[in-house]
Amino acid sequence: MLTKRISQQGLALASATVLLAAIAGQAQAQAFRCPRTGGDLIFALESKVPGLDQHTSNAGATRNVALNIYESLVTRDENMSPVLELAESMTVSPDGKNYTFKLRQGIQFHNGKTMTSADVIASFERYKRVGVDRSILDPVDKWTTPDANTFVITLKEARPLFIEALSSFTVPIVIVPAENAQAAAQQLPVVGTGPFRLEEFRADSFVKLRRFDGYKPDTRHNQMTGYGGNKRACVDTVTFRMMTEAAARTAALEVGEIHAVEDVPAASQKRLRDNKAIKLERLETFWMNVVYPNFSAPPTDNLKVRQAMLAAMDFDEIMEAAHEGQYKLNPGFQFPGQQYFTDAGKELLNQKNRAKARQLLQEGGYKGEKIELLTNRDFPVMYNTALVMAEQLKAAGMNAELVVLDWPAALQRSQKETTGWNVFFTGWITVIALGGPQTLRQMAEPNPVYKPKDNKVDPGYMAAFNDINTAPTLAGRQAAFARAQRIALEQVMAIPFGVAPKTQAVRSNVEGYKAYYTPRLSNVWLTN
Amino acid sequence: MIAYLIKRLVQCIPLLLLVSLLSFGLIKLVPGDPAVVMGGTNATAAEIEVIRKNLGLDRPFHVQILSFYGNLARGDLGRSLMLGQPVRDAIIERLPATIAVALYSMALTLLVGLSIGVLAALRHNTWVDQTAMTVALIGVSLPNFWLGLVLILLFSVHLGWFPTGGYVEPTTSFLGWLRSATLPAVSLAMLQIGLLARITRSAMLEVLRQDYVRTARAKGLSEFAVIGKHAMANVAIPVVTVVGLIFSVLLSGSIIVETVFSVPGMGALLGNAILRRDYPMIQGGLLFVATALMLLNILVDLAYAWFDPRVRVGGAR
Repeated sequence: MLTKRISQQGLALASATVLLAAIAGQAQAQAFRCPRTGGDLIFALESKVPGLDQHTSNAGATRNVALNIYESLVTRDENMSPVLELAESMTVSPDGKNYTFKLRQGIQFHNGKTMTSADVIASFERYKRVGVDRSILDPVDKWTTPDANTFVITLKEARPLFIEALSSFTVPIVIVPAENAQAAAQQLPVVGTGPFRLEEFRADSFVKLRRFDGYKPDTRHNQMTGYGGNKRACVDTVTFRMMTEAAARTAALEVGEIHAVEDVPAASQKRLRDNKAIKLERLETFWMNVVYPNFSAPPTDNLKVRQAMLAAMDFDEIMEAAHEGQYKLNPGFQFPGQQYFTDAGKELLNQKNRAKARQLLQEGGYKGEKIELLTNRDFPVMYNTALVMAEQLKAAGMNAELVVLDWPAALQRSQKETTGWNVFFTGWITVIALGGPQTLRQMAEPNPVYKPKDNKVDPGYMAAFNDINTAPTLAGRQAAFARAQRIALEQVMAIPFGVAPKTQAVRSNVEGYKAYYTPRLSNVWLTN
Repeated sequence: MIAYLIKRLVQCIPLLLLVSLLSFGLIKLVPGDPAVVMGGTNATAAEIEVIRKNLGLDRPFHVQILSFYGNLARGDLGRSLMLGQPVRDAIIERLPATIAVALYSMALTLLVGLSIGVLAALRHNTWVDQTAMTVALIGVSLPNFWLGLVLILLFSVHLGWFPTGGYVEPTTSFLGWLRSATLPAVSLAMLQIGLLARITRSAMLEVLRQDYVRTARAKGLSEFAVIGKHAMANVAIPVVTVVGLIFSVLLSGSIIVETVFSVPGMGALLGNAILRRDYPMIQGGLLFVATALMLLNILVDLAYAWFDPRVRVGGAR
């Protein structure tokens, strides 16, 4: 019914296609049942969890835990396409402005209350008030609840990509009980509809979740897919232990004190690979190593200087040092296999051409002005990237100098100031995973990361960006993305060096675990 | 004595006010704020602005500081921005672990440090002295994060005697606590043992040269009585000073040791608060540590009087 309804809507064709794919792809598979239940699965996190208010935190450490507790109307499937979660169906009006969500019946919150549209509207209102990514809701004119089972969103104008934005899991619009929705930011009681409920949160130490016996699995799917699908809590409890020291974390896994770790440093992977009691799990495309120049500060306000920087660099050298050999070069801002992947402009990447760089510097009138590379030591990847990049720029005749602050200070300087830095080092994870439009948003008005003068972005880029958001067909949007990517690389708005995997590890008695953007502990069981 | 105590306590008040003012002002001068940290690597400037507003960081400085002192006057240290819990509760929650590990570490320090120091002094310029001082030197030189990892590798991974990390409260299981606290306590104690051993040796050597020690020996007192009763009483003054300092350091926690061993204590709490720019937590934590240090100093001063009648308050006049 869902797919039939959606397929009738011209403007929502793309969304309908992906939703259809999500369900049809599982038709032949067998419905998941926990082969074994019980036990306490101990999962070691690499970062401290800064609270569990999923509306107001976009920290990965919050998502790591919270996405096992909360659910949304729409989320992302295994291939990052939108998929219904708490919504039973979604229909779009012919003019593309009204989205009607019928809710799944009998969904219970962890406090025992049954979810209705009153909870949905209250959650959306809270998100609009304090939600970090509230701009998702900017196109919304109003929302209504015709009955306890229906939630309707009316847009100001048709937005073909509205569902893609609504299903973002960076700061998802999770559904919470209406009585909790008045909570101030960071003070949301932890009550969701997910397969696990919160049992204990000892800040900076551990979070313990317990299987929610009132959970209603989504039987429209046979298997879990992305953050949605048929999820079942097989273990009795999950204990997330915060162990920020990598060596101690790995040692704990080796001796069997914990069952799984969020991240295994490259140096430890060989040792663990030889250990029969441990299985390594790898998400191949996780972190895109990205830098962006400052368009407002000399000398990177000069296009020729930026192009010279791009021409001079050897990406392999940089990625090798930053990721200890575990990387792939990537010809753009999306990964192969993603809907918007294109290699438009790839000839501008990894040029390793110092002669061309010198030529461009000469053409640009570069006089040896300092190029400040703003980095930090909190993320060794970023520091090592800056270190190698600085040497490469120097070798091509540029006066590169590192400016090392801690992460909060560096990020704030890059966001608030247009001086004191020329290149900023970062990494994109969900920005890339969520798809082309989300990625391009980083370089578009109103908040382009590279600080163009008067905050005005290249008109060609903005035109392509707007086309992506308004083109009715996927092909049209893909073409617009390719145009935008080429312009971004020609203007050197950002430099994508390559992609690094995320390597996790579990003990051999853990089954069903698959590395993903955050640890998914549904459909995971302990064999003993 | 009581009057002296009250006077010292009253003197603490302006100092604490100064500490709170400085901590409030200085932390605001440090670039980067909690919203940036909460935003993570992917947040846009607009998203960070939303977080900033949610946290009340967009309010003018004077409004924020007045609010801080208003709350402080009511005994409220504020609410941690990152932990989502009152600062007071966060401190109360973590203090027992820090105190327990600190006491364990202190006990090890006193036992081993004093023994080594005394032994080295009694066997001055022998191989015993040289060995003891070499051990002490190694103790003060070893970085405790490195030592912690080596201890984990040796005693947890290879021998399996102790857990690699985590903390069990003594009320839950004393044996479990002993196992979980031993490696952190040893890591912390190594540095302090070296320090205390060297101070003890030096103080003991000076005392052993005093006339009254020679007199005690000449009177035929046993060596145990000479050292244990007469010499140690005078060694106690400098040792108590150092012990007070050591304990104040241990009480404020060690971010490195607590991080390596995943002990939820004050050091990790404060260290993380600084890294995350959790302003209320930093201010509350510093205020607590300053208070603890001042009280410890008072206790050390009172201990002088206990050990040495000459400095007993008012008694020398």
